[in-house]
Amino acid sequence: MTTITLNGKSVTVTSEPDTPLLWVLREEFGLKGAKYGCGIAQCGACTVHVGGQAVRSCAIPIGDLDGQAVTTIESFDGGHRVQKAWIEAQVPQCGFCQPGQIMSAAALLSENKAPSDADIDAAMAGNLCRCGTYPRIRAAIKAAAKA
Amino acid sequence: MNKPMIDRRAFLATAGAFTLSFAVPDARAQQTGAPAAPWTAYLTIGADGRVALLSPTTEMGQGTHTAHAAIIADEIGVPLAAVSVDTALPSDPFRRGGAMGSGGSAGVRAWWGALRKVGANARASLTAAAAERAGVPAAEVTIEDGLFLRGGKPLAVTLGEAAGIAAARPVVEGEPKDPKTYRHVGKATPRVDVPAKVRGEPVFSQDFTRPGMVYACAVPSPVYGGDADSWDDAATLAVKGVERVVKIPNGAAVVAATQWAAMKGAAALKVRWKSTAIDGLSSDAISAAMHMGLDRDAEAIVGKAEGDVAAALAGAARTFSADYEVPYLCHAPMEPWSVTVEPTADGGLEIWGPFQTQDRNRNTAAKTAGIVPEKVILHTLMLGGGYGRRLGDDGTPGAVVVAMAVKKPVKFFWRREEEIGQGWYRPAQVARLKAAIDKDGKVVGLHVRTAGPSMRDSFSPGGLPKGELDGSSVQTLTDTRYRPGAYRVDWVRVDQAVPMAPWRAVGATQNGYFMEAFVDELARELKKDPVALRRELLAQDPRALKVIDEAAKAGDWGKPLPKGHARGFAYVESYGSLCAQVVEASLEGGEVKIHKVACALDCARVVTPDGARNQVEGGVIQGLSSGLFEGIEIAGGRAMNTNFDGYRIMRMHEAPHAVTTVFIENGETIGGVGEPPLPPATPALVNALYALTGKPIRKLPISAALAG
Repeated sequence: MTTITLNGKSVTVTSEPDTPLLWVLREEFGLKGAKYGCGIAQCGACTVHVGGQAVRSCAIPIGDLDGQAVTTIESFDGGHRVQKAWIEAQVPQCGFCQPGQIMSAAALLSENKAPSDADIDAAMAGNLCRCGTYPRIRAAIKAAAKA
Repeated sequence: MNKPMIDRRAFLATAGAFTLSFAVPDARAQQTGAPAAPWTAYLTIGADGRVALLSPTTEMGQGTHTAHAAIIADEIGVPLAAVSVDTALPSDPFRRGGAMGSGGSAGVRAWWGALRKVGANARASLTAAAAERAGVPAAEVTIEDGLFLRGGKPLAVTLGEAAGIAAARPVVEGEPKDPKTYRHVGKATPRVDVPAKVRGEPVFSQDFTRPGMVYACAVPSPVYGGDADSWDDAATLAVKGVERVVKIPNGAAVVAATQWAAMKGAAALKVRWKSTAIDGLSSDAISAAMHMGLDRDAEAIVGKAEGDVAAALAGAARTFSADYEVPYLCHAPMEPWSVTVEPTADGGLEIWGPFQTQDRNRNTAAKTAGIVPEKVILHTLMLGGGYGRRLGDDGTPGAVVVAMAVKKPVKFFWRREEEIGQGWYRPAQVARLKAAIDKDGKVVGLHVRTAGPSMRDSFSPGGLPKGELDGSSVQTLTDTRYRPGAYRVDWVRVDQAVPMAPWRAVGATQNGYFMEAFVDELARELKKDPVALRRELLAQDPRALKVIDEAAKAGDWGKPLPKGHARGFAYVESYGSLCAQVVEASLEGGEVKIHKVACALDCARVVTPDGARNQVEGGVIQGLSSGLFEGIEIAGGRAMNTNFDGYRIMRMHEAPHAVTTVFIENGETIGGVGEPPLPPATPALVNALYALTGKPIRKLPISAALAG
């Protein structure tokens, strides 16, 4: 049995230990903000936090996460400064990748109060957006850093 | 989400609600001579004062529904939040040319006039009703922020009460307002779908569930058009949660209690594939066949012929010619395909999916199940990226087959590898452009020949009889505003068994690149500035010249550049809008670095400026991405690069930090915004790199051309 802290609450996971965290979140706990996009940690649509770090949940077996703290977009109430900046900058188009983008941005800002363009490039390079909202994501991260 | 709209009378009879139906003409029917069926929508003001628009347009993140809500809110005089917009279930009033669907950047431009008029009629009818109730002259009543006012003071009548009265009276004709007085249209109107999207709340097709639903992971033939011969499912059935393996039309599907179990089971399935006629097909073979096609004069189907181009070339002081090539492109939406199908008690089907062509999918489902379309209820779910990908129905047959086999609700899905590997690509194509130049260095003739497969015939099998022109193969070439003297455009059909579909901006993507890369090479040949040559070719067209000049100005054309940087220019008109761009780029360690992009878009009118700006940014980045990195690599009759490690799309660190956008508004017919910003981006970047290195880029993607 794997026990994790999920959005602040201790939970016991019944999924098989080799099940990627993404599918535990979506199928065992019904948290569907994290999306399946590629299954090989290339697109970032599944990004959540483990121990405060942005990780690709599609490629991490739940069995490796015993005792870890997992945070998903559902723990943000819409009032997170990154979400506010995203609304202000009108970032999303189709919206599918945006929970992952927001989780990567939130992890960056929790470690770096004033990220440079190079810091943003490094932190966000793992999150694809086919609608091409990158300029707005960059602007929203900078705005959130000042909030 | 969507709502049923089967019976208009039942709809009209909703207690206390005031409904107006309205329609736009079917422009495609006018072009083809087919019977014109108006494209209808319904506007309802409920007893609760809510304003609801029910229309056939699909929201895919491009902001169409926000634009529609803004027009209605402004015309009636209600807050934007009081207006909702929903996509209808497919039924006759919503069909255009026999089918309901979205596309062609038509969402706003086709509906602009009709939405203003119906909003004006609603306002006139509601104010007349409010005046009747209050016993005052209708001419003295206005609506602001959803309140009836007379002499600046509110009347004791609510919008809902007025709707109840208006429903029992004839519709009063209203005059649309002066757009200058609009409060939402043309202003910074926030998109209605954004707050839920940043909370991760919307239910995409992938997220949608039904009680008792199982998951079916598709394992289709990796060779295009292939099928399974047999399989060994021992390891698959040993996976916890896997229920069974079902034969589907082009392979197998692994059915399981969870999506993860279905994927794990699919990975363990050992399928023996039937041999096919294209088991040896490769990108090189496709390329060679297309290039050979360029020489087959007798097969060339004429798209345009003005003057005698052969004579112009024969009599020219000199000629200049170049061949170009583009690969197949994948739409690569971030959400891979999925469809949920539930057998109903009456032997029918209920279907939920990320549809853009509702009737096509409904008819395919009915045909697969052997039932009449009327027994299929089809719902449109939020879709994670369109760009043309959702125009197809390729995922629907397998989904129906599995649901009928397991007799319970099933979500049938593709993994990323199938999403990229199964095709429905932007076609590969080649082109040869040959210009006739007179002794004064003036262009006096141009022959453009393209060669490649017919997208139209692949997307609608049998849709293009031999000998007929596929308009997408010469799109933007046949109707260019350039005047190069004698001008001929033709196309040689070289079909392949690789599935194709419209891809954002369709034929304008490859043909825009061919023409614009050639114009820059021609400019160098003639020792002219690329913008100056375009101005020469467009000298007779003030509207096009304005777009060229605005882009050149916004992109600092001709101004000094940092060392190692260069600018490229391109101009492409598509979907009713003229678009020119300047890209500033450099090469750093062999990698292309894009520094600045400026775009001038003449779409005649902008309804939601910030939403339109977002579409421009996205279109530019998709155009830069496809030009720089993208191309399906085919070997053994299948795609070899089927995930994002091999099919590279633009990432944050490769994208421009901003796109300077200039909208040009004038009295012309309103143009599209979703597609027109894409085509110029690829050639503008190609031309910047040509200016930088002096070496033309005649085969895409750019990254492969630079490496090779």
